[in-house]
This record gives sequence, structure tokens and C-alpha cells, in this order.
Amino acid sequence: MRWGMVIDLTKCTRCHGCVAACRVEHFLPLWVTWVKLAAYETEERGAADITTFPVRCNQCADAPCVDVCPTGATSQRKDGIVTIDANKCIGCRYCVIACPYQNRTFIFSWRDPGYFPGYPKTRYEKKGEELYPHQKGTTTKCNFCVEKIDYGLANGLTPGIDRDATPACVNTCQARALTFGDIDDPNSNVSRLIARKNAFQLQRVLGTDPSIYYIDGEVGGKDNKAPEHAMTGIHIQQKSTVDPRSKRLIEEGRKEEE
Amino acid sequence: MQGGRQWITPHEWMTKPTQQTEWIEGQGLLIWMAEVFSALGMGMYLVSVVMDHWWGALVGWLIIVFLKLPFHFFYLGRPWRFWRAIPPFTKSWHSWIARGMFFTTVFSIFALIQLVTTFVLDHSLVAASAVGTLTVIDWIMRFLAGLFALLTGIYCGFMMSYCKSIPFWNTGLLPIVFVIMGIADGLALIMGVGLVTGGVDFHTLEIASQWALIGNAILIGSYLISASYQSTIGELSVRELLVGRVALSFWIGVIFLGIIIPFALSLISIFVLKTNIPEILIIAIISHTIGAFALKYCVLKVGIYRPVVTRAPVM
Repeated sequence: MRWGMVIDLTKCTRCHGCVAACRVEHFLPLWVTWVKLAAYETEERGAADITTFPVRCNQCADAPCVDVCPTGATSQRKDGIVTIDANKCIGCRYCVIACPYQNRTFIFSWRDPGYFPGYPKTRYEKKGEELYPHQKGTTTKCNFCVEKIDYGLANGLTPGIDRDATPACVNTCQARALTFGDIDDPNSNVSRLIARKNAFQLQRVLGTDPSIYYIDGEVGGKDNKAPEHAMTGIHIQQKSTVDPRSKRLIEEGRKEEE
Repeated sequence: MQGGRQWITPHEWMTKPTQQTEWIEGQGLLIWMAEVFSALGMGMYLVSVVMDHWWGALVGWLIIVFLKLPFHFFYLGRPWRFWRAIPPFTKSWHSWIARGMFFTTVFSIFALIQLVTTFVLDHSLVAASAVGTLTVIDWIMRFLAGLFALLTGIYCGFMMSYCKSIPFWNTGLLPIVFVIMGIADGLALIMGVGLVTGGVDFHTLEIASQWALIGNAILIGSYLISASYQSTIGELSVRELLVGRVALSFWIGVIFLGIIIPFALSLISIFVLKTNIPEILIIAIISHTIGAFALKYCVLKVGIYRPVVTRAPVM
């Protein structure tokens, strides 16, 4: 069993719902995000615009963060989820450097002024410190809502199918762009999506084998790719106004993928 | 990004080549200092053990124990948990930080024993019957402490070269560059110690230092060439180093002060003056040490991540 997620970029409306749901679920400090939307400028309809690309910890099968952690605070469960034991983390930030997906955040001791700097913490923040404490001076990241998965499995629920056993970001996605399930099971919803829609992983060349897959095509489309009018993240990225070096890198990435 | 759009969470850095900051900015400067002192201490101790210079070995040991380790310690987010990273308290032997902590700890112990045994032997503080045994222990400790000094110096390079996320570091040449630079630093520093304590052959050290500097220059050149061929991001890092934001530190710090000045002053001492003038030696040592700081600074500063989103459409 290996839990994984498929993100359908043709469905994603860039609403930031997953970002907000994750923050609420895990009582994240205001400047910490586990789910991120990589944003870049585009020139659509003649004016600079912004589009986004949802990213989070890729729960890699061969996770560099697990290899580099000197204390064993970062470890991988049998179901593939990479977790952090904050009580063991010494805050060396080697994992932050080694993660090719830049999806780890160090909780700086002096950077958490609360939701309303200069004012007492809200009841929500206080409850969060009690229910889901984040230790300053340690590293944090997405854990696929592991507590929900464990709760669901213990109660006979199926992650990805039953809401109580499914990550918050998947539950909240209004466009149903996120699908969660067992990627080791060829008959699971995620495995079928990956196979049918030609899903891909980010930076596959690094050999980390992420558990997050992206879809940028439509069923039955030419070469299984979305038409340009779908304006998926990748289409828009091609039109991005980011600096020329990045455009060159994007091209380089494409060649490496091929 | 336009100012009016800041309400959106702008993780635009994931789509662009982004410089790493964790290990070089803010508190990350402590890692830079720790890495520099790793190389200086390692080089100083190794050269001193080979040259049989007790004071030099002591200074090398002091640099590792009282400069490198504290800088590492205060960098940690949870410093008082440092023991969790030292085998056997951790099972994560695959981590270069855990390995480095082990190498440094073992070096500190072996080198301390070696310093004591050598001191006792040099000052005839034991009975004649124990000298033979103590000499054997001293040589074993010299070998083991020297080995672990080398490992302490080289692990920093491996720690960085392991990171696939930063292509400029992800090369096997990096640890070798750091070790050779560390040995060249050691050769320079021991001359400084020798000026105070005596007991060093300046001529031999200067010749050795020249070869180390030449080797270092070739290695740095090879490293930059291979890094620029390795990937586009590696090439970008090299460009930042040579003509970008870090160029001043690289050309003045690493090349001019770290290599050219010490090399030129060494040549002048040997072939023109035919003697060692302390003032020139001190200038060369200071210049060389600045070069050691600059090299690590530059390498850390131009560590650039691959963009996360690099796949382009096939349309």
C-alpha cells in the first residue's frame, strides 16, 4: 500500500481552497503553508496575470529528506507517507536544503508573531497549540493528513473514498481536481487516473519517485494532451513572463523529461 | 510580481531558479563559519601531525572543538538536542550530518589523547619503562586522529554534494576541493604558529604551500567547468560566481587573496628575498585565510535550487 494523490490541472480553478483547508486542519502559523500554489506571471489577454500550480510534499518513495535527517526525526511509514517527529528534530535544516521540491519549512523561533501581531492570540490559535502543536526550531511539512488516514483505517473507512479518512485538501476541493488513494493498487481511483490520463510526476529525472501525480491532458485528446484553450498550468507557464533564464530552464526540463 | 497582487501567496520562487538561503543568510552564516573552521582545523591538525608540530596540532584541535562545534551548535533550531544526531544515539548513519558529528566527536577524543601523549613524551614526564608503550599509543592516536581529522574536513563537502536539489553542489569534486583548500590553509596557518613557537621549516612549508595552491587552483577550475557542463542550473551558479552577484567575493576573496597573493609572496620569499620576512609571511597567512572564508561563502551563496515546476507542454 502506498498513498498517493493525483492533481488534475485541467480541473483546478486556482481557488486556494486546498491551502486554506490545510491551514485550518493543522492550525498552521500564518506564514507557514504545507500546500502551496507556485505562482507565476502570465500575459493573458494582453495584461500581466498570475496563475498557480498546486504543490506540496511529494511523499517521495526514495525521499532525500529521510536520507539526510541525522536523528531519524524524518521517517517513512510502510504506506509511503513521510512524517516528521518534531520531538526528535534538532532543526539542522539539512532536509530543507535537500528537498528538490522545496516543500519543507523551518519554524523560526522569532518569526511567529501570531495571527494578529501585538495582540493576544486568538482562541483558534490557542486551541491549535493544544490540539496540533508546532514546535519552534523544527521543520514542518505536509503529511497527507496522516491522523485522518489512521483514524479512518482504524474505523473501517477507506482513505480517498470516505471523507473522514481523506486529506482535508482533497475534501475541500470544489472542482474535484484532487484525488487520493492507493497508487500500489492498480484498481484504485488514483491508479486508473494515472494510467488513463497520462499523469506525470514533478522532476522525475531525480529518481525520487513522488507519490503526487499531475494530469495535464484530457481523455481522448490528441496525444493525450489538453488543448491550449484549456489553459492548464503548464500551458500558461509556457506563456509566462518570468525571466529568460527560467524559460530556458523550462525548456531544459522538458528535454530531460523526454 | 506586481505590487497590487501580493494578496496571493506568491511561491513564484518554485518556478524560477532560486538561491538557497538556509545555509548562508541570517542564522545560516553560522553554518558558513562552522564549515570554514572545519577546513582550517582539519588542515592545521593534519599538517601539524605530519610535521610533528605539537603547538600546531593543539591549535587545530582548538579550532575544531572551540570554533567549529559551537558554531554548528548555535545554528541548530533545537541546540540542546544535538546529542540525538551523534551515533549511537541515532541510527541514521546514512546522514552526512550524523556521520560528521561522529567523525568530529571521535577526532576530538583521539586528538586530545594524542596531544597529551606527545606532550608527556616530549617533556619526559613518564618513567623510562613506560616510554615504549606510550610511544606506540602516541603513534596509533596520531594515525587515528589524523584519519578522523580528514573525515571531519571532508564530510562538509559530502554533506553538500549529496543534495540533488542544488546541482552546483551535486558533484564529487566538491569534497576534494574543500579538503585540498583545507590542507593549503593548514600549511599557511602552521607557518603563523611557527612564527610564535618556532620549530617549523619555513622553506619546506612554502614549497608545499605553493604546490597546494597550484593544485587548488586547478581543482577549482575543474570544479567550475564540470558544474557548468552538468546542468543549466549548475551553469547559472557558475555564472553568478564569475560575473554575477558573488563575483566580487570570488575574484577578490578566493582568487586574488586566497591564491594569487599567497603564491606571489611565497615566490618572492624564496626566489627574490631568499629568506622569510615575518611581515610578508603574516600578510600571506591573513590573505590565505580570507581566501578560505571566501571560498566557502561563494560556494554556499551560489547554491541554486532547480525550479520545482519545469515541465513544459508538448503542444
